[in-house]
Amino acid sequence: MEKPCHLLVHFDKGTPALANEIKSDLEGSDVVRKQDAMKKAIMLLLNGEQLPTLFITIVRYVLPSEDHTVQKLLLLYLEIIDKTDAAGKVLPEMILICQNLRNNLQHPNEYLRGVTLRFLCRIQERELLEPLIPSIQANLEHRHSFVRKNAVLAVNAIYKLPHAEDFLQDAPELIERFLGNEQDASARRNAFLMLYHSSQERAVHFLLSNLDNVPNWPDIMQMVVLELIRKVCRTNPGEKGKYIKIILTLLGTTSTAVVYECAGTLVALSSAPTAIRAAANSYCQLLVSESDNNVKLIILDRLQELKSSHREVMVDMIMDVLRVLSSPNMDIRRKTLDIALDLITPRNIDEVVLTLKKEVVKTQNKELEKVGEYRQMLVQAIHNCAIKFPDVASSVVHVLMDFLGDSNTASALDVVFFVREIIETNPKLRESIVTRLLDTFSQIRSARVCACALWIIGEYCQSLPEVESGLSTIKTSLGDLPFFTEEEAPAENNESKPAPTSVTPVVSSKRPAVLADGTYATQSAAVELAAVAPTTTLAAAAAAAANLRALLLTGDFFLGSVIATTLTKLVLRLEDLHASKVAINKATAEALLYLVSILRLGESTALPHPIDDDSRDRITLAVRILSSPSDVMRLVWLKYCQDSFRKMIVEKQARETEESRAKQAVASAQPDDLIDFYHLKSRKGLSQVELEDEVQNDLKRATGEISKESEGIRKLNRVLQLTGFSDPVYAEAYVTVHQYDIVLDVTVVNRTSETLQNLCLELATMGDLKLVERPQNYTLGPEASKQIRANIKVSSTETGVIFGNIVYETTGSALERNVVVLNDIHIDIMDYISPATCQDVAFRNMWAEFEWENKVAVNTSITEVSQFLEHIVNSTNMKCLTPPSALDGDCGFLAANLYAKSVFGEDALVNVSVEKQPDGKLGGYIRIRSKTQGIALSLGDKITLKQKG
Amino acid sequence: MVVLGASVISKSGKALVLRNYVEMTRIRIEGLLAAFPKLVGSGKQHTYVETENVRYVYQPMEALYLLLVTNKQSNILEDLETLRLISKIVPEYCPALDEESVSHKAFELIFAFDEIISYQGHREPVTLGQVKQFTDMDSHEEKLHNMIMQSKIAETKDIMKRKANEIDKTKIDKQKIEAGPRGYVPGGLTGISAQSNLGGGMGMGSGGFGETNNGSAFGSIASNYGASAPDEKARVAAAPPKGKGMKLGGSSTKNQLLESLKAEGELIVEEPAAYGTAAAAGGPKAGPPVPTDPISIMIEEKLSVVLRKDGGMENLEVQGTMALLVGKDEDAYIRVVLESGENRGFQFKTHPNIDKALHQKQNALGLKDASKPFPSGNQPLGILKWRMQSKNEEMVPLSINCWPSVTGNESQVNIEYESQAEFDLKNVLISIPLPALRDAPQVNQIDGEWRYDPRRSVLEWQIVLIDDTNRSGSLEFAVPATDPQSFFPIDVKFAADKTFCDVKIKQVIKASSGEAVKFGGKTQLVVDSYQVL
Repeated sequence: MEKPCHLLVHFDKGTPALANEIKSDLEGSDVVRKQDAMKKAIMLLLNGEQLPTLFITIVRYVLPSEDHTVQKLLLLYLEIIDKTDAAGKVLPEMILICQNLRNNLQHPNEYLRGVTLRFLCRIQERELLEPLIPSIQANLEHRHSFVRKNAVLAVNAIYKLPHAEDFLQDAPELIERFLGNEQDASARRNAFLMLYHSSQERAVHFLLSNLDNVPNWPDIMQMVVLELIRKVCRTNPGEKGKYIKIILTLLGTTSTAVVYECAGTLVALSSAPTAIRAAANSYCQLLVSESDNNVKLIILDRLQELKSSHREVMVDMIMDVLRVLSSPNMDIRRKTLDIALDLITPRNIDEVVLTLKKEVVKTQNKELEKVGEYRQMLVQAIHNCAIKFPDVASSVVHVLMDFLGDSNTASALDVVFFVREIIETNPKLRESIVTRLLDTFSQIRSARVCACALWIIGEYCQSLPEVESGLSTIKTSLGDLPFFTEEEAPAENNESKPAPTSVTPVVSSKRPAVLADGTYATQSAAVELAAVAPTTTLAAAAAAAANLRALLLTGDFFLGSVIATTLTKLVLRLEDLHASKVAINKATAEALLYLVSILRLGESTALPHPIDDDSRDRITLAVRILSSPSDVMRLVWLKYCQDSFRKMIVEKQARETEESRAKQAVASAQPDDLIDFYHLKSRKGLSQVELEDEVQNDLKRATGEISKESEGIRKLNRVLQLTGFSDPVYAEAYVTVHQYDIVLDVTVVNRTSETLQNLCLELATMGDLKLVERPQNYTLGPEASKQIRANIKVSSTETGVIFGNIVYETTGSALERNVVVLNDIHIDIMDYISPATCQDVAFRNMWAEFEWENKVAVNTSITEVSQFLEHIVNSTNMKCLTPPSALDGDCGFLAANLYAKSVFGEDALVNVSVEKQPDGKLGGYIRIRSKTQGIALSLGDKITLKQKG
Repeated sequence: MVVLGASVISKSGKALVLRNYVEMTRIRIEGLLAAFPKLVGSGKQHTYVETENVRYVYQPMEALYLLLVTNKQSNILEDLETLRLISKIVPEYCPALDEESVSHKAFELIFAFDEIISYQGHREPVTLGQVKQFTDMDSHEEKLHNMIMQSKIAETKDIMKRKANEIDKTKIDKQKIEAGPRGYVPGGLTGISAQSNLGGGMGMGSGGFGETNNGSAFGSIASNYGASAPDEKARVAAAPPKGKGMKLGGSSTKNQLLESLKAEGELIVEEPAAYGTAAAAGGPKAGPPVPTDPISIMIEEKLSVVLRKDGGMENLEVQGTMALLVGKDEDAYIRVVLESGENRGFQFKTHPNIDKALHQKQNALGLKDASKPFPSGNQPLGILKWRMQSKNEEMVPLSINCWPSVTGNESQVNIEYESQAEFDLKNVLISIPLPALRDAPQVNQIDGEWRYDPRRSVLEWQIVLIDDTNRSGSLEFAVPATDPQSFFPIDVKFAADKTFCDVKIKQVIKASSGEAVKFGGKTQLVVDSYQVL
């Protein structure tokens, strides 16, 4: 075990601090310079500098100093120096400081006594502590509470040391007596804590005998009470009843921290619904009463935990949880919705949806920032509700459809996706949705939303009147033909509006748009108005006349192709429904006219760019089908299209259920896991095997005592040979990569028959690596070997290189220095990144945002695209975000997104786009994007290296 | 609820200061700190980050982050409280809030952090002021200790000097004895000086005799001139020519010592000399006779007052005595002529041997049998007594008004005094009983001095002198909430050198010739009991 670190102080290497200077300052009598010198000495020591002679100087000149600051600095100094030799024995000179410590403990200055006692908490050497015990005990009775509270701490810390019973056997008794008389809150807390740690029965006894006073105790004391209760109940579950009552009384206190702790304790102790409910209630109260966002978020985390363990209780609390939505913080709202969504049941769904609906409506009124984002969140939430409980869809879908015309594309898109899914899964609602959609269609402003809405119209207008009204809606939206005539071009040029969007075709004659001032609106005005919020009804009406037209005229020909397919589908369906020949012919002719017009528009020079090939092909295809329909085509367009959508929905649901099943299936314990028997645990056993309780574990994880990886196979891969066998010094390193650090265990073997002196392993690093300690010198006897450990700090995900050499002197040849250069050690980026998932939207946002891109051309011997993708995924340790179903089939090309996160929280995005070339080889690119250069480069190198296959 | 470490980090990610409260390896904590800047997102409205194992709670502060690393189970409310306190502390030390100033004050910050978070990471319930107080380490007791040490050193030096003097003296004495007796006058002078020194107190006896017996030190007033041994040698020894200077030095050291002892909580009998009662008792024991006036007359009034805490007076009683002390028989044929005012309400009584008619007519005190001398010796003889009892509130020399009030978890006590007496009150000591406390009460405002005697749990309010400049004054202090009743009875002590009764000694004449005789004396008013119930 490495020695613990007590403090760190930033040390500027630029400041020259010479050992001699420090020494002379320390020896001087100027107090200020002495303080400065002490500070410098401590900083040097913290930086790995060795100042071996300093100790004696300090003992001689600093120990007797009367200045308090010097004394405090001295204590810090004593904290950080090594007090033991290599074998773990206390250095003999340490005895020198004992006397000083004792004097400090009897010093008339109570504060000096206090800080000295505090310092003793951090001392573990029994030899140093033993002579001080009487003084420490005497300080328990000091007049000043500052001394007493620290004395208790010291007793506590000392008593925790192994074999403390030998020299401090009556400590618990002493402290118990002390506790009885003590008044100071902090001292009492510390004393109680001491009993809690070392003599639980006494602590319990004290608690039970003071039961009536517990509510009046200071809050810090109550916290320890709760901690004690938790511990006692764990070892002795039978006595739970006694304590639950205490907790319930404490729930009523004014201190929020105590209430929070109480709730946590309740949850830990009991799974009775009442207890859980009480805990959840207090959490909810805290949620409302605490204004701090941090607290809210963390309490929401707690609620989330409660939810997973006691869902049935939390279900009742859902409305309380939802109250938090009033907070303006997006993170809080998101978490709240997450929790709430998992808690909906048939019983509360109506209420929940009602609340959500209210919130949605609120977003319309408020002129707050992030309203759009919030609305999107709510829409998604409602969407989820509707999927789980299709019944509610009917009540919300209409509310939501009001937002189709939302200026926020993202939320409108969410709405339309929602509608699309509902119409498929909820056949009962089909009719009303279609009617509604046709009504509101004219308000839709965004091309993507339009496309989706058109698709819905094309697929789900089933009955004759629906088809007819669908056709007429689209016609209305497109306006009169032609879109654009050559004659207008000059006129348009005269208008001196150079902006491409201001291309001005004739005003829709069907419903002439009249502006507020009574003038006829031109098409360009309509385009501009499209950006205006739809709430201004008149402008909306003007724009509503031809939203599709407006979009088309901006050159969105993809939308044109969607219009084409929709029209085709509707006409084909009209035939299916056995409408009159005349009507069919009329519709077909009209549709053809529109399609041709779009095509012509696409060729017009007045538009910013001509129609793209894909869209033209698609429209031409539609024209061909309309002019000569065949049964096969009819089947494809009318049936298979919908079928594939149905399949997608089914697939999506299947994936979701699978995920949730996978979540549930996570094994709570492995078959060969260790089982703990709390009752068999001894008090002072500190072996790793004995797992402490949850809190303790949590603490240990936090301090890094437990790290949870052990991969036997990978270990051996990490042994690196650093020098050759014939070199005078053979070295090999075993590299362990922890989260933030790399530990090199270097074995150095002297292959010669001479003694090597001042042997030193000098390491240097490249990249984002930093050596923690300075190397030390060793002497290596003939054929002897030595283990040297070097710690290297890593601060970002990047491939780093460690190189170095071994320097030594031989005795024979008059102190000649020899150097053996070491093999480089490469630190692999793969050790830092781990597969992770993120939402598609988030991925796209990051993709757009990140500035470092590394593009690697595909160059591989693998011939199958899917096989290649698999290979990349395996060799980069990333997760493929593209669902497997999307990668199905064999079409000779593939695009997939990969994602991983580094331990430092950095994101790594990879997009693989490959296609099979005619010669059978794979071609394409792999793009890596990240926020930092390091990841992009290192990952790129890695892929280049590995992609060969 | 454990804080693993508290740190100040620059926005660029440099860890400027870190203090660990739980044992952790250096590499681990450095890694945690290095990871932090990457985890902090911008534009978030909360200030904590959770990773797999730890939680960071932070607060941005200009170019810095204040950071607490806690475990994930830690109580966020507590941690925020801690952070709040730290965020108040840091600007105190580094007003610039930049890297440089933090690096410069790194150790001071560490000391302050230590006061806020105890080892093992628990929050200490301290306030900003307390942190300052703790880190300043300004200890009253240490000062006292140093003072004691110094005074001890001085005293030792003093003793050393004295011993040297004594040796010198004995040498000189031997020569003097050979040369013949002398030295009465210097002795008398010393005696007078001792008398005039009475108010200040004590110790004049000690200097001269090379011994440090406290009891003897207080005995000087009572010491009887007549009793001074006719033995020349002793007298000379008692009044060494150089004694005076040394005595002053000695008494001042002792004063300091006593002061410090008192402040330390030692129970010391308050200046018996000043109050006179102890002095009278201590008199006979005061072995070494000090030459004084041949005749001394002491006028002393004892005052007992009971006041009610809600104002008003229960009772006021004054008892006065005039005592005569005659050194030698040949000086005892005297008559004391008084000069007295109206003295309404006072009842006078004379000693049975005193000629009552003489007293009433001539306002003089003489023995019925003028040929007899007053008894001489070192025992004072009471010749006149008087007594007065009153319910008149205006008579109260010092009224005390005490207002305890409970606010929250502390009791606020306001006390004021008002002196209506026409004379100055000296050494006023108001003792307020307190409930048993560990700490000294918090005194917010005071006119005068205070000290807390934890053994008797009494707050003592001392006003050295109440004269026209401070006829009223107040004290305000706070203690943890207690029953208002527990601040009573308040006990008051003071002394004055005027009496209620307007009696003065005009002169002392020889009974036979009417010739004025030199006399010494002292007039004082002491408190027998003065309580506010």
